[in-house]
Amino acid sequence: MPLYLCNARPGTLSADAKAGIADDITRIHCEVTGAPPTFVHAFHFDGGMAPDIGDKSIALHGNIRAGRTDDQKQDIMDQICDAVAHRSGVTRDQISMTIGDVPASWAMEGGDIMPEPGEEAAWLEAHAAKTAQAG
Amino acid sequence: MIPCTCFIQEGQRADQIQETLKEKLDAFSQRAFNAPAQQMWITVSGGNGFTEAKPSTSSIVSFQSDVPLEQDKRADLLRELCSIWTAETDCSLDEIVATINDPRA
Repeated sequence: MPLYLCNARPGTLSADAKAGIADDITRIHCEVTGAPPTFVHAFHFDGGMAPDIGDKSIALHGNIRAGRTDDQKQDIMDQICDAVAHRSGVTRDQISMTIGDVPASWAMEGGDIMPEPGEEAAWLEAHAAKTAQAG
Repeated sequence: MIPCTCFIQEGQRADQIQETLKEKLDAFSQRAFNAPAQQMWITVSGGNGFTEAKPSTSSIVSFQSDVPLEQDKRADLLRELCSIWTAETDCSLDEIVATINDPRA
């Protein structure tokens, strides 16, 4: 978590564009929120079921941990849509994006309940220590 | 029925043993929520999944409870879910993301 889904009409995104978009999503999410890149998942679909493309060419949806401000979420969406337009050559008005909040306490990653926003460093340190002890 | 969505990466162990995992998740749902799981499986095609901007080996399993859960109960269920996944697929704990959401308001 976060999980970003990018659904494009078939043939819209090349393999290179998909990799570039995943890189952009990871960088933008981490820059805006301070979250570590290891948490960021970006999955692409070509004409998949969701998110609904509607009359657009590309639709994105992000499930992120609750606690980010509306300004942060808008910043993430604006930057990601700009990056997707740049990578794909699709005009900005043909790209839609939404973001949904999930409480951190509802998610488990690496066998631990996910940290609240701002508590990532302590979580990563504790997780690394636990992993080292187990290994 | 308890909604359950699974994202898996094409060609990985979880993709190869979907039927086994479906049975395990259904049994989990019966134990946890006293109802079967209404499962939606989504396979992420090769080259389309990224974690930390690198090719992903992660599975994401999400249940939606039919009642609000106390956090201790939710944590126990999440641990059980992760244990099922690691036991059946041989993936590491770092390759499974599990969520159990409360009902939508």
